[in-house]
Amino acid sequence: MPENDQIKRLLSAVSLNDDQGAYRELFILLHSRLKQFAYSILKSTEEAEELVSDVFIRIWQKRDQLLSIESPLLYFYTTTKNLALNRLKKQKKQLHLSFEDWLVHMNSIYFDPEKLMLTEEMMRQIKKAVNELPPRCRLIFKLIKEDGLKYREVAELLHLSVKTIEAQMAIALRRLGKCMHIELKTPLPARLLVKK
Amino acid sequence: MNQEKFWVLLSKKLSGEASGIELKELEILILEHPEWQYAIQNLEDLWKQQPPADYAGEEDAYLLHLHRLNEMNIPFGDTPVFTPVMDNKRRARRWYWPAAAVVLALAGFMLLNSQRSSGEKNLVAKQDNEVSTRRGSKSRVQLPDGTVVLLNAGSKLTYNKDFGKELREVTLTGEGFFEVQKNKDKPFIIHTSSINIKVLGTVFNVKAYPEDKRTETSLIRGSIEVTMKNRPNDKIILLPSEKLVVENNTVINKVIDRKESGVEIPEVSVSPVMSINKLNYSPVDSTVAEAAWINNKLVFRDESFAELTNRMERWYDVDIEITDPVLQEKRLSGIFEKETIDQALEALKISLPFRYEQQENKIIIHR
Repeated sequence: MPENDQIKRLLSAVSLNDDQGAYRELFILLHSRLKQFAYSILKSTEEAEELVSDVFIRIWQKRDQLLSIESPLLYFYTTTKNLALNRLKKQKKQLHLSFEDWLVHMNSIYFDPEKLMLTEEMMRQIKKAVNELPPRCRLIFKLIKEDGLKYREVAELLHLSVKTIEAQMAIALRRLGKCMHIELKTPLPARLLVKK
Repeated sequence: MNQEKFWVLLSKKLSGEASGIELKELEILILEHPEWQYAIQNLEDLWKQQPPADYAGEEDAYLLHLHRLNEMNIPFGDTPVFTPVMDNKRRARRWYWPAAAVVLALAGFMLLNSQRSSGEKNLVAKQDNEVSTRRGSKSRVQLPDGTVVLLNAGSKLTYNKDFGKELREVTLTGEGFFEVQKNKDKPFIIHTSSINIKVLGTVFNVKAYPEDKRTETSLIRGSIEVTMKNRPNDKIILLPSEKLVVENNTVINKVIDRKESGVEIPEVSVSPVMSINKLNYSPVDSTVAEAAWINNKLVFRDESFAELTNRMERWYDVDIEITDPVLQEKRLSGIFEKETIDQALEALKISLPFRYEQQENKIIIHR
């Protein structure tokens, strides 16, 4: 997990040297992911923005304790989740919020037609399939594919078992795969035959 | 059934979660179902696609964040706060003390540098920076060039104030896991009592405790060049996943002889026994046994009881003596993670019958 290593390296620079460059790098690296994650709970862009800032304020204030963090990425997500849920509690908006109520936006089903051998129709189907994933499944898929968390970390973050994560990921992939299914008997569209 | 398994395995593969066995299983399933090939190829491509990053947006968000820090009167930037770590008992454990030592060492280093640049060169003697860990504790050191060194228990890393000027040179006693920053112009050199290691930028582990029989250099990534102290012309190039083992005894004894007797011993008579081996990868999660200590695991594979107790002494900060020579040579494999010293000894007793008594910090093991 090279990214976790990179985060660990930056955190140790912040912790040992009060390194502001490393602190900035961390912010730039994680801000947008954490903001989307916070948004899925808070459902407000302004509040999500402020919350990520709160997470990083906490990082700065507790920087002398950062060295002992084992899974840094998970630490950021857990902190974000806890602060977001606290905030909701204070606003007395929702006391029992399950992931079914989380609003998860996917943004990296991104198509570069140069690189993918897919027809327009397939791309449309895939986007539709992603949007129609059940909320919990979409959340898990996003955390793993886009945000780079490990199965174990997502399980810990959402208080689920690793087996559940495996099953949910399989569902997501199967649904996407279905959109790409082609009968081998029928001739392929010409451009699909051109392999890089 | 096969279908379900297939999707579980494929998603694990894409997420980098699949083990070697699972990858093999997946390969077999794919061979049986050529009609899945097209979807697999596309899913793999799709997985790698990342939307273009919005750096300008991130920069703006960071400025806003700094503004908030300022409004909340949180010290940042021009007024760095140095918090003394003396009074908090909790911090005295494990990482914090060594970390404080590192901060002090680095602060000292910066001070030396700044004095030099302001023309007071002659005031400062050529002075070493030293970071050391006690037994039972570990530490993380970041060198001025960005290289990160994790120091295992009972180890010492020194470098002088010229570090990074022309060469990057450090001296290691004990065990360190190095993640060296790339810099082709300034090679990074590690001196130990028996070998020198020259690297350009890579990740590896060096174990060179004076009380151990061997010095071990385990290469995780990149490549490194090792020379024996007393055979500077013979270079050994290590490749990733290789481990160089040098038997220390011959070397160390000779060095001591030389000092004590004052007699110069010809270089040729000292030729340490060495071998190149493969690293011990765990079949389950492909972690490397040689570097497991950085994840707080004491992993031993086919080690003699005497070697293991040497490591346990440093790990647990105790003294251990094995009275029986046969027992000393028994070979053991296993992992200690959260076990206390008592639990560890009890676990060892299952595979190797022995008795032990404890007197304060000393443990004596009998047959």
